[in-house]
Amino acid sequence: MPKITLNDQTYDVPPGKTIIQLADEVGVQIPRYCYHPDIGIEGSCRMCLVEVEKLPKLVPSCATPITEGMIVRTATPRVLQAVRYAMEFLLLHHPIDCPVCDQSGECWLQDYYMANAGHTSRYPGTEKTRRKKATDLGPLVKLDQERCILCTRCVRFTRNVTHTGEIVVLNRGHASEIAIHGGKPFDNPYSGNVVDICPVGALTSSDFRFKVRSWFLKGTSSVCGGCSTGCNMRIDHSARALGGGIPGESANDGKIYRTVGRRNVDVNQSWLCDEGRLSFHAMERWPRLQSPRATGDARTVDGLLPAIHQRFESIRKEHGDGAVAGLGSATNTNEALFLMKKYFRGQMDFRLGTEMETYLQRQDDLLRRLDKHPNTQGAIHLGLAGTLGGMRGLRMMAESRQIRGMWISYHPQLIGDGEPEILVELQQLIGALDFSVVSTTHEFAWTAGATIVLPMAGWAEETGTYTNFAGRVQIANHAVMPPGGGQPLHSMMSKMLGLAGIQVSADPAAIFEWIAREVPAYTGVDYDAIGPLGMSAQAVTEVKDEEVAR
Amino acid sequence: MIPTKGGYAVDVPTINVSERARRENASLWSTFRAFGVTFSRLFTSLIKRDMPTISYPEQSRNYSERFRGTHILTVRDDGSLKCVACYMCATICPAECIYIEAAEHPNPEIEKFPKLFNIDMMRCIYCGFCVDACPEEAIVMSREHHQAAYNRNETLYGIEKLMARPGIDAKGPGYRPNRPFSEAKIFDPKSSPTCAIPSVTDERHPAVLYESMIQKRQ
Repeated sequence: MPKITLNDQTYDVPPGKTIIQLADEVGVQIPRYCYHPDIGIEGSCRMCLVEVEKLPKLVPSCATPITEGMIVRTATPRVLQAVRYAMEFLLLHHPIDCPVCDQSGECWLQDYYMANAGHTSRYPGTEKTRRKKATDLGPLVKLDQERCILCTRCVRFTRNVTHTGEIVVLNRGHASEIAIHGGKPFDNPYSGNVVDICPVGALTSSDFRFKVRSWFLKGTSSVCGGCSTGCNMRIDHSARALGGGIPGESANDGKIYRTVGRRNVDVNQSWLCDEGRLSFHAMERWPRLQSPRATGDARTVDGLLPAIHQRFESIRKEHGDGAVAGLGSATNTNEALFLMKKYFRGQMDFRLGTEMETYLQRQDDLLRRLDKHPNTQGAIHLGLAGTLGGMRGLRMMAESRQIRGMWISYHPQLIGDGEPEILVELQQLIGALDFSVVSTTHEFAWTAGATIVLPMAGWAEETGTYTNFAGRVQIANHAVMPPGGGQPLHSMMSKMLGLAGIQVSADPAAIFEWIAREVPAYTGVDYDAIGPLGMSAQAVTEVKDEEVAR
Repeated sequence: MIPTKGGYAVDVPTINVSERARRENASLWSTFRAFGVTFSRLFTSLIKRDMPTISYPEQSRNYSERFRGTHILTVRDDGSLKCVACYMCATICPAECIYIEAAEHPNPEIEKFPKLFNIDMMRCIYCGFCVDACPEEAIVMSREHHQAAYNRNETLYGIEKLMARPGIDAKGPGYRPNRPFSEAKIFDPKSSPTCAIPSVTDERHPAVLYESMIQKRQ
C-alpha cells in the first residue's frame, strides 16, 4: 500500500488510485471540469492541477496515480495561479449570458469563478467568437456551443458508458466544437444523462428548459419508481410555488420539475434512463383523484374508513375469514404492503401481470429492466406471492363467490402505456365482488363499478422503502404533497389496523421496524441505517448465515 | 426620571390652558387679527389668483424623475418586449408579487421571453428592487400611482397592461437607475400598434388563490 502525503496528512492508499479520488474520499477540495468518476479520464480542463514534490511541473490530479512517498499539495500559490489562468482561458470566449442560461445557479463556471478566479476579462466582449446557440442534439438535449468548455464529458459518456458514440469533437484547435456524428440524432435511451454531467450550460434538457430557475428548487433524495432496478435519483421540486401559493392551502405548494441521477456505485452509478428521468410526468398524465367517491355522507378518507372496516368485518362474520382479501401492487411501498397484509391476515396478493417472470430480466445492458414496478422483490420478501394466484386467481375466487369483499390498491406504472389489459381484468374483478374498495391515484374509468374509491398518494408523495431486484432496500422520500384529500396507503392501513384493534404508528420508520422483526429478509436492517444509498437486505442475511455457520 | 405608580406616571406637571392664555395676552383683539390673516389670504387667492392648492385629482403635481410608481415593461427598437424572463426581479422581490412563465424565443440569440409576466399590484410594495436587479433595463417604474379597481383581478397587471396604459402616457417614466447612460424605450401604441405577446390572467396566480381561499373560509 503506497503511502502518500496530501496537504500534510499521510494516508495509506490501495495501489492504482489517482490523487483526485483520494482527495474526494478524504474531503480535500480540488476543482475540476472534465473529471467524472464514471466516464473515464481525459485531463483536458487543467483545473485539477496539484503540486507534487520533486516533479518539475504541476500535474493533473485526475490522471496521476498515487505512488509511494508522494508529497502532494493542493493549495500552494503556484497551484492557485495555474487554476486562475485555466479559468481565464475557459472564460475567454464565454458569452456570460447567465441570466438566460438554464445552468445558472448550479454552474461550475460560476462556482469556480467566484472561488478561484475572480479576474476581469482581458478580452473585449465585442470581439468574442460567436458560435451556434440552442441547437437540438436529440429529442431531449439542446446544445449551446458558445457556453461549451470542451471538457468532453458528454463525448466520453457516449463512448464509454452507452457505447453509442453519437457525440464527437469536430475540427481542431480553436475551431473544435461538440457535435453529433453525421447528423444522426442523439436519441439513445440514456441521452438525458449528458445534461446532468455537463458542468456548464452547454447541454440543457429540452424537457426542463426554462421551466424554473434552479435556485427556486429544493432537492429531495429518492428512488426512481419506474422499474425494478431502483435507480437513485434526486427529485427537484419547488420549495414554494413560484410567486406565491399558500402552503398547506393549495396543491400548488409543490410541483416536480425534474429528476437528476444520484450517484450510487452499487445500483446506477450516476445514470438514469430517459424513461425514468421523465417518469414523474406520468403522475400528470391523467386527472388526479382529489376526493373519495362513495355513496353516503362521508366525504373524507378518514370519515369513510370506519364504515369500510365494519363492512369487511360483517363479510368476515357471514362468510368466513377467507371472504375478504387485499390486492396491492408492486408500486406500493414495503410499509404499505406489510400493513395491508396484516389487516387482511395474509389474504393478500400483489401480482397484476407478469412481474414475477420479468423482475430480474434486463431490458438492456445498462440499467433498464422489463418489470416496470419498483418493489416486486419487496412484495416477494413480504410473502405476498402466495397461493392466491395473483389478480387472475383472485378474480376466479371472486367469480366463484369465495371472496366477497376486497381492497384493491392500484398505482399506475410510471413507465409504459398504462397496462390496458390489466385494467380490463381489474374491472371484471370489481364487477364480481359484493364490496370493493379501490385506493388509487388518478381518476380511472375502470373504477366506476367500485363501492368506494379512495384517493391515494402516489410516487414521490409518500415516504417508504422499495426493495429493488437485487434485494436492496432503498428509501423513497416524499417530495410533494398529494393533491386533494389523498393519503399514503400505509397511513390508511395503519388507521384500518387501529380500527381492528392493532395500534400501529403511521411513521414509515416505525412500520419498517416491525417489518425487520417479522420478515426474515430484513432481519437486522435498521431504517435509520439504510441512509441515502440504500442497504442490501440480502447481504445482511448472508453475513448472518455465515455467522451462524461459524 | 418620571416617578411612576403601577406603571403609570404620577406627579407629571400639567398645563393649565386658561392660565397660559392669560399669560400670553390672548384677547378679543388677537381673534380679529387672526381673521385678518384669513381674509387677506382669501383676497390674494380670489383676486390675485395666487393659489397654493390644486384641484387634485383633476390636477396633479409633477413627480420626481425617481418616483417609484406602477411598473413599465420596456421594449426593443422593433417594439418587441425587452424582457428575457431571467427571473432576477422575481428572485429579489421581497413581496413575491412577480409571476413569470418563460418560453423559447423564436430567435436563438434571444433564447427566452416571458410567456406570462404578472405583477400583483396589491402585493407590490414599490421598493424598486426589480428595477435594480434587471440586467436588461426591461422593467422600470412610472410616475403613476393610482391603483383603484373594482375587483382584485384588475389589480393583477399582465404584460399588455405593464407595457402600455394611459397612465404611462400621462405621467411618464419614473425610477430608472441607469439614466442617463441608457434610456429605456417604452412601447408606443401609435408607432407600432400590434405586439404579438400573449397576456392572460393565470388562474394559478397567488391573488386568485388567495381569493379562492377567502371564499372557502366564508
